[in-house]
Amino acid sequence: MKKFIFAGFIAFWASVGTVALLEVLTPTARVSDETSSAMAFSLGDVAAHATLDDCWMAIEGQVYDFTAYIAEHPTPPSVLAPWCGTDATEGMHGKGIGREHSPAAWAMLEGYRIGRLADD
Amino acid sequence: MVIRARLARILVWSLALVPLAFFLVGLRASDFNDLPALLNGLGRLTGVLGLAFLLLSAALSARVPGFDQPFGGLTRLWNTHHLLGAAALLLLLAHPLLLAFSAQGYGPGLAFTILFPPLSDLATWAGWLALALMMVFLAPSFSFFGPPDYERWKRIHDLAPFAVILALTHTFLLSRTMPAHLDIVVWSGFALLAVSAVLWRFVFSRRVGRLPYMVVDVNRPANNVVELTLESKRKPLRYQAGNFIYLTPLDRDLAAGCGEEHPYTLSSSPREANLRVAIKDLGNASRAIQSIKSGARVTVEGPYGRFFKNPDGVPIPELWVSGGIGVTPFLARMRHLVQLDQGGDIRFIYCVQDEARALYLQELQALAESIPGFGLIPHYFYRQGPLSAAFLREHCGDVEQREVYICGPQPLNRLTQAHLRALGVARWNIHSEEFELL
Repeated sequence: MKKFIFAGFIAFWASVGTVALLEVLTPTARVSDETSSAMAFSLGDVAAHATLDDCWMAIEGQVYDFTAYIAEHPTPPSVLAPWCGTDATEGMHGKGIGREHSPAAWAMLEGYRIGRLADD
Repeated sequence: MVIRARLARILVWSLALVPLAFFLVGLRASDFNDLPALLNGLGRLTGVLGLAFLLLSAALSARVPGFDQPFGGLTRLWNTHHLLGAAALLLLLAHPLLLAFSAQGYGPGLAFTILFPPLSDLATWAGWLALALMMVFLAPSFSFFGPPDYERWKRIHDLAPFAVILALTHTFLLSRTMPAHLDIVVWSGFALLAVSAVLWRFVFSRRVGRLPYMVVDVNRPANNVVELTLESKRKPLRYQAGNFIYLTPLDRDLAAGCGEEHPYTLSSSPREANLRVAIKDLGNASRAIQSIKSGARVTVEGPYGRFFKNPDGVPIPELWVSGGIGVTPFLARMRHLVQLDQGGDIRFIYCVQDEARALYLQELQALAESIPGFGLIPHYFYRQGPLSAAFLREHCGDVEQREVYICGPQPLNRLTQAHLRALGVARWNIHSEEFELL
């Protein structure tokens, strides 16, 4: 058993090391950064997409189109419906009983970003 | 006893799997949509199970006297503790990796972001710290870097409560796996068990569990073995022949081990007024205690262990096999049978290198003569080689009809068990006391 656990310990650090190494080796330019500077939406634009069939949200100054994600979200769609078309930063920070969304959830946002929130 | 021990183990493992049931209830169809979703589900599952195993393992470490009885003794209870800890470590190593791999499915570089988020992400970093502490305090338990020194292992293992607190913080900040609010109830229940265990170990056991005793006699059966006679200063310990205790010497003149607790088997009969403990020089503390003087204060915590099925009589014929300092539980039982004036069909194969190293040989011979039906059979390694199945059969023709008790070094223990199984002795009739707790 001791050998098996030691193998698990080594495999863990090997995997973490690989992920870290890949991050270092990957070119830093991100397509999404270009998107964010190119497209700016006002809260009014976001509010025009306020249904579960066409759901945009603003979160921490960025704008996301979650229409395709609604079915995958862990809670029933009815929980998300009121946040469609709004600034949902508060919802991201305080899901359920005031808990933060997981790092996984924050990381997933990136895939749905369509632009940034206009300054005014 | 075997069935009860199995039931106790099944109960612990079933309790450990309770969060799994809630996890399954909380599953949604979208958790099986694609590979990233599946990996995310597995990542959460390993987190939930790993934490449950860690908390139950902590709960089992309390060492409350008597609590080990349903498990068949403290060493068996610790076997379950050990397995739960090992499973927890493996699951919790897999947990962040699975979540990171899952995130990679949603965009490049996300695996790295999941593993190493900004420092402001306290929940993730609490989890990381808990896992790092687990690796540190479990490394000696699983001999990652060679066999550990007992005292160092014990000090490092004391980091466990901090890992538990950090793991709970991580979970309370993030958990979304079980249906709403249920996770708070489940984790609070598990945390209560673990915290009670830690409180008992670090607070109450030191005040309530440890009984004050004084060394009143020091006997030297060999140049590397000392037998202490301990007199109670408050409430005497109630125990059975073959039990062991944790002894803490409070003598500051000792070269090592003052204030440190170590497990030793009682060599006295429970009928005697005082406790007797035989200690062989096997490590720093047990070497230092060889020079302890009469009048030294010690504390005793226990009793632990459940070696003999029937410590006060011999309703079923027995075979005993011992080696080295493993003679102590048998010495205690022989002294006890003489105190009770009890006879019994017992064969005792006493394995030593040669006559000069046979601890207590004269006393054992005298005790054997005063117990009707008792047969003492010394086995000398230097003259007769390793213990053989033929030797066991020759001196104990009806071995498969007996309850067999083994106490000695691991190689002797393993060899004897292999011979006994080959001779047709049922597994549940073989009882062994392991000294090596790691």
